[in-house]
Amino acid sequence: MTPRGTACKKTRTLAELAPGARAVVRKVSGEPELLRRLMELGFVPGTQITLVRRAPMGDPIELRLRGTHFSIRTSEADRIDVDPD
Amino acid sequence: MSIPTDLAAVAPSPAEGLDRRPETHRRLRRKLVAIAGGPNCGKSTLFNKLTGLRQKVANYPGVTVEKKAGFCTLTRGSTVEVLDLPGTYSLRPGSPDEVVVRDVLLGVQADTPLPDLTLLVLDATCLERQLYLCMQLIEIGRPVVVALNMMDTAEEEGIHVDAALLERAFGAPVVPISGRTGSGLRELREAMEQEVGPPRPVTRALAAPLREAAETVAGMLPTAGPLAGLSRFHVAMALLLDEGEDDSLMRAVPHAVRREVLALRSRLDAEVPEWRSHEPIGHYRAIEDLIRRATLRVKPEDSMRQRIDRVLTHRVFGPVIFIAFMAVIFQSLFMWATPLMNAIDFGVSALGRFIGPALPAGPIRSLVVDGAIAGVGAVVTFVPQIAFLFLFISLMEDSGYLARAAFIMDRLMRSVGLSGRAFIPLLSSFACAIPGIMATRTIDNRRDRLTTILIAPFMSCSARLPVYALLIGAFIPNRSVLGFLNLPGLVLFCLYVLGILAAVVVAWALKRTALRGARPLYVMELPPYRVPSLRSVLLTVRDRAGLFVQKAGTVILAVSIVLWFLASYPKNAEVKPLEKELRKVEQTASEAQARGQRAEAAAGRAQAVHLENEIAGVSLRDSFAGRAGRLIEPAIAPLGFDWKIGIALLSSFAAREVMVSTMATVYNLGDADQTSVSLREKLRHAEDPRTGERSYSPLMAVSLMVFFVLACQCMSTVAVVRRETNSWGWPIFMVVMMNALAWIASFAVFQGGRMLGLG
Repeated sequence: MTPRGTACKKTRTLAELAPGARAVVRKVSGEPELLRRLMELGFVPGTQITLVRRAPMGDPIELRLRGTHFSIRTSEADRIDVDPD
Repeated sequence: MSIPTDLAAVAPSPAEGLDRRPETHRRLRRKLVAIAGGPNCGKSTLFNKLTGLRQKVANYPGVTVEKKAGFCTLTRGSTVEVLDLPGTYSLRPGSPDEVVVRDVLLGVQADTPLPDLTLLVLDATCLERQLYLCMQLIEIGRPVVVALNMMDTAEEEGIHVDAALLERAFGAPVVPISGRTGSGLRELREAMEQEVGPPRPVTRALAAPLREAAETVAGMLPTAGPLAGLSRFHVAMALLLDEGEDDSLMRAVPHAVRREVLALRSRLDAEVPEWRSHEPIGHYRAIEDLIRRATLRVKPEDSMRQRIDRVLTHRVFGPVIFIAFMAVIFQSLFMWATPLMNAIDFGVSALGRFIGPALPAGPIRSLVVDGAIAGVGAVVTFVPQIAFLFLFISLMEDSGYLARAAFIMDRLMRSVGLSGRAFIPLLSSFACAIPGIMATRTIDNRRDRLTTILIAPFMSCSARLPVYALLIGAFIPNRSVLGFLNLPGLVLFCLYVLGILAAVVVAWALKRTALRGARPLYVMELPPYRVPSLRSVLLTVRDRAGLFVQKAGTVILAVSIVLWFLASYPKNAEVKPLEKELRKVEQTASEAQARGQRAEAAAGRAQAVHLENEIAGVSLRDSFAGRAGRLIEPAIAPLGFDWKIGIALLSSFAAREVMVSTMATVYNLGDADQTSVSLREKLRHAEDPRTGERSYSPLMAVSLMVFFVLACQCMSTVAVVRRETNSWGWPIFMVVMMNALAWIASFAVFQGGRMLGLG
């Protein structure tokens, strides 16, 4: 993947996005097992993700990527660094 | 994670030496077709459509994973065996379910031969995410037929999928179908009948370190043996990436290969820390390309789903709707199932009355009526609740609401270390732990599921209510507290809260000890909303109820008969003269009746009932159960219980509410229930013959109720936990843990109360 010209924009984690916001995965970190599971579900660098909504108690969050909706806890979403889209 | 720099196109060669098994061997058994696919792809609906009612459910050996198999007749009349594999996103296993899927597809699963054909089900409405499994499956190099499911829905949603292009890309037949309407099934059956060659793996990039390691391992694999029919490259990738050290796949290769795999893994870990992500990155690159060419979205994203979700997961309406729905489920388990359960109860006793007189009076009649028929009744009584709960759960699951419910409840359940999926099983357990424990199947994480199973029996079930009602009615004065609360009601409320608190504490403790482990990844798909298929829902209900009767029912029946024996034998010598007197009284009463002396006949009958109750009391007090009650008296005396309560505790193992009728029998009251005034009076005024003091105090009643909240006294729960965990270890652990907890808590209540001068 080529570096994106987004150096001026601040990199954030997926958990920090506002509902309705879109972003692109930059880097996923964590234990090998967790990392692998996330990657297999499509959280690979360069993937476009939309944060659809937050659950009534603020956590977990609903994401849309690759045409599928996933629910993921913010503690896991915090390991996914994103660039604003 | 850094980006792999050295990318090379890898097109693993198709399987070498495919299907070397001699033809004669193949003819010996039916062709085996494994159905694979992601969760929510409509796999089970298709399986039901293909097999109809010709299916059976069992467990894979040694694990709790369900093995669903059936038979399907193809167009030309040949019959194949069909295996419905658990839904999975990837062939790299992370859970017992996924280990089974991989093992079956690689032919290393014990008791399941390598499938002759894999039927991959893909949901055309969200193809991209599912192509990951497809890429891996095709790479194995075994014949594959792709069923492109929900093509009609995809068209409605404005998604065009080019099946012909996918067919060319995979080198495997791709058949558009609709599991819902059944369209395309004929073509699918035809495709399954044809000889399908190995597919053509999709060309994809793979970073050099992993590719070279896989090539090294592939070169070492033996040319004969269990894995010989598969692509060597794929087997090598599976060995490297599946993390196993001594699992079924590693055991299927020679020692030298195993050593090499472990060495390569640690070398890669040291040199290229992100090597495990090479496969997903490579696959998704290829998938993105394929999706660009094969699918076309002509309409924007489904707005229907957005509108429904905006209400069902709304900050306020979401939880309100969820609670309302839970109230309906709870109501159905408590109230709607009750008439059915009463009808079953009535039917069972009618059957006993019908069959009883046909058998000679004595042990045989007693065994059939009080042992076997009552035992069958104990099993069948659970069926209405199980059916109701699974009706709702499968409706929720198939419509897509179950995932939203878990989404809403996750934050709350996380405070006890569980996920949102644990809520419904636990709530159902307030009606009965049996359906609740069975409902834990919707929890995908094994440790969470076990924790939920082990804490479910702490929820005060409906069988405890009669016990609470009897003891509260007999010992808790009906007065108001703080001016507006009613003391009996408050006590009842506290008993429910105590059960919940115990569950929270035990869950917390289990998650830190026996069921500790790496924090699982809670990723859950929120599937699109679909109208559930009635057929699928009813099949699930039938499966669940049938499995309960078959697997847990046999244990319950056996224990019922053992309990009957313990309560009926040995026969007491005192009983003989009483029985003689009973016959005489009955004779006199019927003679009086014949002479038309109504009053005398009625008096005779009353005396007969009195005698019958006395006989029952004497027999029970002197039976094995009665002796066991005395035997355990020293152990329960510190809790305030005498041997008569000991008998009731032992007999309540049949079902908790049996405690009430046992107490009635012990006190020569026959079959009184919890509302019986005479039974309450008897308990209040019972005296200890040795000291002349009152046997029971309100403090003892509280201690006994606390015991009933916490103790595992229900053989049906034990049987169903044995079935659901596929082991005796967990149910035994549960019985020991719960009963120890109950003893300690009752001891604290009784002795603490006495110290405070409450006894």
